[in-house]
Amino acid sequence: MRNESRISKAAARILIAALALACAASNSFGAGASVTAVLDNSETGVGQPVQLQIKVTGSTSVKPPRELAVDGLDIRFTGQSQLLEGRNFQFSYSYIYNYTVMPMKAGTFKIPPQTIEAGGSTLRTPELTLHVADSPGQSSRPNRSGENIDPRQIAFVELILSKTSAYVGEMVPAVVRLGFNVRTPVESLGNGVEITGQGFTAQKMREPRQAIETIGGKTYQTFTFKTALSPARSGKIAIGPVEVNPIVRIPRTSRSPGIPRDLFDMNDPFMDNFFRDPAFAPSTPREIKMKSEAATLDVKALPPGAPPSFNGAVGNFTMTVDAKPKTAQVGDPFTLTAKISGRGNFDRVTAPSLEDEQGWHKYPPSADFKSDDDVGISGAKTFETVISANERKDHIPAQLFAYFDPIKEQYVTLRNEPIPVRVEGGSAPTQAPVAPAPQTAAPAPSLARTGPKQQEILHQITELSAEPQSFTPLFARRSFWLAQLAPFLVLLGFITWRIRRAHLDNRDARRREALQHEAAALQRSLRREDVSPQEYFSRASRAVQLKTALARNVDPNAVDADVAASAFRADEATRRRLQQLFEKSDEARYSGGQNGIRLLPPDVRNEVLELIDNLRA
Amino acid sequence: MKNRIQLGLVCAVIFALVCVAAGPVRGAQDPAFATANQDYSEGRFQEAVDGYQRLVQAGRFDANLFYDLGNGWFRLGNFGQAILNYERALALEPHHPEAEANLRLARDEARALELRKTWIEKYIEAGTFIQYSIAASIAVWLAVFVSARLFFTRRRSLGPVALIIFFLIVFALASFALYTKETGSRGNSFAIVTGKEIEARLATADNASSILALPPGSEINILSERGDWIYAALPNDLRGWIPAKSVEKVRL
Repeated sequence: MRNESRISKAAARILIAALALACAASNSFGAGASVTAVLDNSETGVGQPVQLQIKVTGSTSVKPPRELAVDGLDIRFTGQSQLLEGRNFQFSYSYIYNYTVMPMKAGTFKIPPQTIEAGGSTLRTPELTLHVADSPGQSSRPNRSGENIDPRQIAFVELILSKTSAYVGEMVPAVVRLGFNVRTPVESLGNGVEITGQGFTAQKMREPRQAIETIGGKTYQTFTFKTALSPARSGKIAIGPVEVNPIVRIPRTSRSPGIPRDLFDMNDPFMDNFFRDPAFAPSTPREIKMKSEAATLDVKALPPGAPPSFNGAVGNFTMTVDAKPKTAQVGDPFTLTAKISGRGNFDRVTAPSLEDEQGWHKYPPSADFKSDDDVGISGAKTFETVISANERKDHIPAQLFAYFDPIKEQYVTLRNEPIPVRVEGGSAPTQAPVAPAPQTAAPAPSLARTGPKQQEILHQITELSAEPQSFTPLFARRSFWLAQLAPFLVLLGFITWRIRRAHLDNRDARRREALQHEAAALQRSLRREDVSPQEYFSRASRAVQLKTALARNVDPNAVDADVAASAFRADEATRRRLQQLFEKSDEARYSGGQNGIRLLPPDVRNEVLELIDNLRA
Repeated sequence: MKNRIQLGLVCAVIFALVCVAAGPVRGAQDPAFATANQDYSEGRFQEAVDGYQRLVQAGRFDANLFYDLGNGWFRLGNFGQAILNYERALALEPHHPEAEANLRLARDEARALELRKTWIEKYIEAGTFIQYSIAASIAVWLAVFVSARLFFTRRRSLGPVALIIFFLIVFALASFALYTKETGSRGNSFAIVTGKEIEARLATADNASSILALPPGSEINILSERGDWIYAALPNDLRGWIPAKSVEKVRL
């Protein structure tokens, strides 16, 4: 009984609650859907975003506008949220759509009414007006994005020279270092890094090395550029400053009250940390101007007394030289490969010169530089020079390369040993003059033409061939392949002839085989006793015919006793016996009987068999 | 009797081939050629060269004509063209003694660079295209005939088989010689630098790094062509790009 009353009470409560919810729902949705749109600020500056919020109440199926296009404004959808509100048992359910509006230029902009479909009905937002000032400073809004931040607080740039004094032409390594506070991450380095100044040249900077460093308790993203400077004149030269105009992202330091970053405004530490992370925090790109301190380089002029082969190379170098081939004819080329390695201004490193160019013809060299570092001040430069001898030689003269060593502060001339080679043919080497003539700096090519100015060529030929000649090789000419038809036809004829001959041979062989077969059968029948004399002599004469035909390759039907005797060169007795045999055969064949004799006596048969067996060629 | 017939067949084959390969008959005269020769002998070298070139453009290819044309260019001081035409004369008649002699002189004057021949090319150079072609043809036909005879013979001995192998080896060697001559340094791609102050470069640009300076008359081997540039094998075992207009192929 008590249980029944409990169940009835619970059912009554559920019913009341359901009625209340149904009532609330009818209150909420029965009034119809509505929409509002607001900007968190109607005034702003260029580059300062404002927030647009569209709120739809009273509908569960809403299609908000994803893209809002207004010229001069960059409007982007940032997210949506739902809101359930209850007041005096009047519940309402709303959808809130948030947009960020970034002014791209100054002026007054109108965000036109937007059409929103909500529960089968079409709603329109009100038109909104946004005033954008020309510069952030003119905005009526408070400074929220750090426009007046000193670049030195968030970034630094410094120029570091490896030395403060150098010689003209000497390569001076230099480093440009940029650092950006990680809370203001750099978006781009603008137009790049350039060292300003006059009186020096700088190597092209390559891609910087990036790192994260902690300096003075702050974490910086650093960019290190390496280069090398080469002073072009003596005296004090101002290097730099280095000017950089990077674009960094300045975080917004205050929150907009109209933007519910934390939907429920519950000061969630996770959400706070999330938005404080520089990678995710809202920020504004901004160009800042950075300038380093200038540096001074004391440049000394190169001392006098440079060797003749000096071409401006300053540094520290080594040289190796090789020549190929080792043997050649007069006029044939040698390839000299000179490799100059070390550290210095390789752009002034030129091919070494021959110590004695007399009797040699030298062609312009080729060069190939392989750098060992990022800035190209150390490595190896390889020169390939082609030279040819005008006369017989037994060695290639030494090669000379001169440079100025800034550490030793003196000129150094590298010289390799003469390379032994053998140059054959041509004339004997010209003797060097005992007393050297005054230096006239005669160029090498003129020295090379020591022979007759222009040798006499052979005479003209006044005859031409009857038929024009062709550059086409014989095997590629049509006539050549047509000529191959002749042997081909001969081959065909040969093959045909051999096949025909084989065919004939084959027919003859078959005929002989048949004759042999028949002869063997006759021989067997002649040994039998039950053969009548008429049949016996007929078979015996046929056996003689076959034997003769096989021996002389003639028609067996044309063989008679004389032919058989001649074929086997039989004596007179045998000839007579053969004639008797053929006569008896004819007699038996034409007379039709043997006078009553039914079988031949054995001695007669043996005599006939002996006669046939003794017929041998 | 059989052997006589077969010998006759082989002789017929060889005779046919030799007839095809017979050398040009000398003695023909051409009025334009005579005029050009007259110009040359009277010292009007430019007119002589023009006359010879008209004959060449008309398709009259002749070793002596190219030789004379080379002489004309030599007299005009254009050693690149002189060497080119001497080479053409030698391409038509590989053992043209006058062309060989004057080519040496022109090379000396121009300081022209030569392509290095491989050792096998030096050996193969002893023969001509005609000789190798005939040798290959005769060898292969003899091998075929001996094979046919062997096929129809009942008693097979080792002699004919050895003979076939020998002929096939001769054919292979002759074919290899032809291939090497056609694709070697003096083959179909053989060309001469005719421009002045030409430099082979690393890339197809006038300001690209220079690899080798090529005096007029230098020999190259064209490997490929790209627009106005050709990629070529150069003397001293180098390779590089050369302006196409500064080079002419030896074979026309």
